[in-house]
Amino acid sequence: MIEFRNVTKLYPNGCVGLQNATLKIEKGEFVFVVGPSGSGKSTLLKLMLREEIPTEGEVYVNEFSIHDMPRREVPYLRRGLGVVFQDFRLLPNKTVYENVAFAMQVVEASPKEIRRQVPVALALVGLSKKAKVYPDQLSGGEQQRVALARAIVNNPSVLIADEPTGNLDPETSWEIMNLLDEINQRGTTVIVATHEKNIVDQMKKRVINLERGRIIRDVREGNYTNED
Amino acid sequence: MKIRTMKYMVKEGFVNTYRNLLMSLASVSMVVASLLIFGIFLMLIINFSYNLNRLKAQVEIAVFLKNNATSLESADVELKIKNDERVLTYRKVTKEEAFAELATVYLEDSELIEGLTPDFLSESFRVHLKNVEDSAAFADEISRMEGVEDVTYPYDSLKKLGTVLNWINVGSMAVLALLLIISVSIIANTIKLTVYARRKEIEIMKYIGASDWFIRWPFIIEGVIIGFAGALIAFILTSYLYNSVESFVNAHTLDYGLSDLIKMVSIGNVAGQIFVIYAIIGMVMGGTGSIISVRKHLNV
Repeated sequence: MIEFRNVTKLYPNGCVGLQNATLKIEKGEFVFVVGPSGSGKSTLLKLMLREEIPTEGEVYVNEFSIHDMPRREVPYLRRGLGVVFQDFRLLPNKTVYENVAFAMQVVEASPKEIRRQVPVALALVGLSKKAKVYPDQLSGGEQQRVALARAIVNNPSVLIADEPTGNLDPETSWEIMNLLDEINQRGTTVIVATHEKNIVDQMKKRVINLERGRIIRDVREGNYTNED
Repeated sequence: MKIRTMKYMVKEGFVNTYRNLLMSLASVSMVVASLLIFGIFLMLIINFSYNLNRLKAQVEIAVFLKNNATSLESADVELKIKNDERVLTYRKVTKEEAFAELATVYLEDSELIEGLTPDFLSESFRVHLKNVEDSAAFADEISRMEGVEDVTYPYDSLKKLGTVLNWINVGSMAVLALLLIISVSIIANTIKLTVYARRKEIEIMKYIGASDWFIRWPFIIEGVIIGFAGALIAFILTSYLYNSVESFVNAHTLDYGLSDLIKMVSIGNVAGQIFVIYAIIGMVMGGTGSIISVRKHLNV
């Protein structure tokens, strides 16, 4: 469960990241976060990951209080969160398998667990056959699927995706979104910041709309914009 | 920390060192240079104090009685020496013995002491103290006794040597401190390159939930590897160079008949200690360099 209570984030340079935002995301929800660039989408996600600390207000993610938690607990917060980025962020000198296994090594999983979990994650994203391939031999969509496998391999309760389809063509974008939906069906809370109007409109999920740091709309089964 | 995690970190440390081979080598040579310069001072100190202690052990206080001292006075002085707790051993040198000693010294120029009889000489006591530091006090007390002509002790000159030794100590520490700062900053720069080369990996690790120490350790190990490699090379060079100096010095002191006075410590006796000192300094330098760099550039 994620909760924001009257959260304001001001950056040192005077920019407003988020202004008096209050929201609650229940376990197992699928949420789109939409809005123009600079509207505060990234700030929202960064606060969940505790990359940023709120200037005012309270943020709760799983059992952690982001607004007052010691630095040393940050890794444990993040172990409960999977993250995917627009630019995939794979390690070029590791194979697909190694990239996914790396996420488990980092949290000190046993080799046995790694051998068991990595193929499962790769199968889920449909890349079992490309396990031994290096990222630069993959298409953008495939790379993002590797990133997804890496994000879910440790079984996080929340998956956060920051414009996961920003670098992909429409067809591939749909593939990724469907995968995210599938991951959500399995019980993981999924939060997606995106600009994909078509996809948002068709998927009929909860939509949180931000503008200049304020939540201007938060609807279930919503559209990208208010107009229709 | 789990054993396989440790294995992973050590492996990463070695991989990092190898990837940055050129900078690693530069850092290693800096460590070698620092330790070598420090080593010169270290060997000076070791040899200086070794010889000083040797000389101290040989220090003999000579208590000369007046030429006309009575046997009662002589017995008094001997009793005082015998019962003094500071005295380790003593030896009485009679007039005859002193004369015999003199005769050996002037064996080849016996005409110089022709006509001299033991009666011209004084009786004396040669005293070894348990602790040479007591020399001055002891000499002072004895010299005030009846029948004592003079008390000589070479401790003052040794004391001066001791002061010189202290200055060398201070000097070497200052040089070491300076070299440490330079080496540490060069190592920190090397590690910075690794941090930079791996910044993407580090970022990913942070998002996945790697602990700070999990991210830091490989860099610290890289620094320690550099420090240890430098220490090892410096140690080999030091032993080799020292051996040459030692055989040179020993050969020449023998030539000039000084081998009793100056004796160099053989490397075999101190090699273990030197290696441990080098290794500790080297690894501390490397580790410190890493920690500084990691703090500044990793921001974990």
